[in-house]
Amino acid sequence: MPGGIVLEFPELYLFPSGLWITVQLAILSLLGSLVLGTLVAIFRVAPARPLRWIGGAYVEIFRNTPLLVQLFFLYFATPYIGIYLGTRETFAFNAALLGLALYHAAYVAEVVRGGLLGIDKGQIEAARSLGLSYLQALRYIQLPQTFRSVIPPLGNVSIALVKNTSLAATIGVADLLYAGEIVESRTFRAEEAFVAVALLYLVLTVPLGIGVNWLERRLQVAR
Amino acid sequence: MRGQLFRAMALVLAAAVLATACGGAGSGGASPSAGATKPSFAASSYMATIQASGKLRVGTRDDNVPFGLKNPTTSKYEGFDVDVARELAKALFGVANGDDVIEFVSVVSATRIPTLQDNKADIVIATFTINDDRKKQIDFSDVYFRTGQKILVKKDNTTIKDVKDLNGRNVCSAKGSTSEKNITAQAPQATLNLQDTYAPCLILLQQGRVDAISTDETILFGLVKQDPNTKIVGAYFSDEPYGIGFKKDRAGFTEWMNGELKKIVADGRWAKIYKQWITPVSGDEKKNPEGK
Repeated sequence: MPGGIVLEFPELYLFPSGLWITVQLAILSLLGSLVLGTLVAIFRVAPARPLRWIGGAYVEIFRNTPLLVQLFFLYFATPYIGIYLGTRETFAFNAALLGLALYHAAYVAEVVRGGLLGIDKGQIEAARSLGLSYLQALRYIQLPQTFRSVIPPLGNVSIALVKNTSLAATIGVADLLYAGEIVESRTFRAEEAFVAVALLYLVLTVPLGIGVNWLERRLQVAR
Repeated sequence: MRGQLFRAMALVLAAAVLATACGGAGSGGASPSAGATKPSFAASSYMATIQASGKLRVGTRDDNVPFGLKNPTTSKYEGFDVDVARELAKALFGVANGDDVIEFVSVVSATRIPTLQDNKADIVIATFTINDDRKKQIDFSDVYFRTGQKILVKKDNTTIKDVKDLNGRNVCSAKGSTSEKNITAQAPQATLNLQDTYAPCLILLQQGRVDAISTDETILFGLVKQDPNTKIVGAYFSDEPYGIGFKKDRAGFTEWMNGELKKIVADGRWAKIYKQWITPVSGDEKKNPEGK
């Protein structure tokens, strides 16, 4: 039975603990990228030109370099410039978390920016004429409607993020892929080990997709 | 392209040999096996097949100091494994220069067995550990080099002297290696940091983010050469016997090769090759693979 190796392997903890690390990594970096990405999007549409430049530079840098290179930089190069992202044990996880959040924030920013620009100008003008400040209009008028409209594209980003967590294995984070590699090297049963890994990623991503669809229906409004 | 290069190289070498011979200077043909006559073998033997083909095809590594390296400036293969292969080729063809009759094929760890099974090389000599799984697929010669797992630390480290001292320490090794298994077994309290290869391990050691690197001593030799601020410590805590691999059912090949390996050890050529390649990084001298 494919995937049976998960239960059969004497060191049972490897797959579950790898899965747990992947889940933690995905949830935390998703939250980080949503917050940071929204912030960058607000910069991107700000009235002040320097803010727009900063937002634009952020997106171009993080979207146009490979995530793997960013992870290698965070893991191997940061100590050379005096930055330590954690203790010896937590360094790899923190580097992966930070890297995933920074990288996907660029994608979230583009999605949210599109949403912000999609709001009818008349609404903002109405809000301002009622005496709301720029930030108040953003907070109470633009952003709530934006989040509703960007749920489907954010779902795509989230699923990509879950799969991209597997790159953390290359800097030694004991995630799901890493568990598969260790089991493969100890049992020489590559097919089974990696089929198990693939199935466990599906266990994460398929429900995530269903959840996003549900949320989309739930928040749909008649226009 | 590559064939042309080799032909050109062979020509240059042949010219050099000729020049030496004509000049009468130098110590041409210093090797004891450099008999002028071509040994003859039974027509059914694999040795006769190789002689007829004119070349011994040798699979070796081109990036593994000090065993098999393709020198980037001269494009020549060099190292311990390469020199052993040259001695075998000399004996097989009865020539003075092994390179005249060798065709090198570059291999990496994962391609060693396929290279033999697909008949792309006659022998593979590439830090190839003899084990039962591999013996099911190919044949091995006797052990021509024996090593084991050791520990690499920074030169100023005085606390790690043995595998037991790794308990409670951070140790780097490669995923998918037997090294990682051995550490887990012999120092269960060690915290493992597993990378894809050993170059990242060296960076982590230099940055002080791991206390030690552990794998086959032969790989550690290469790391010491890259970073002289490191040293190898402790006794072997695993056994890695290297053999020469070749395809199964090569008539008479095992006996012939083991006989030649015995000669190479007995007449001191083995010790000489060891001294040239291994002594500079290990600091010791050996007369045979068992070090006795």
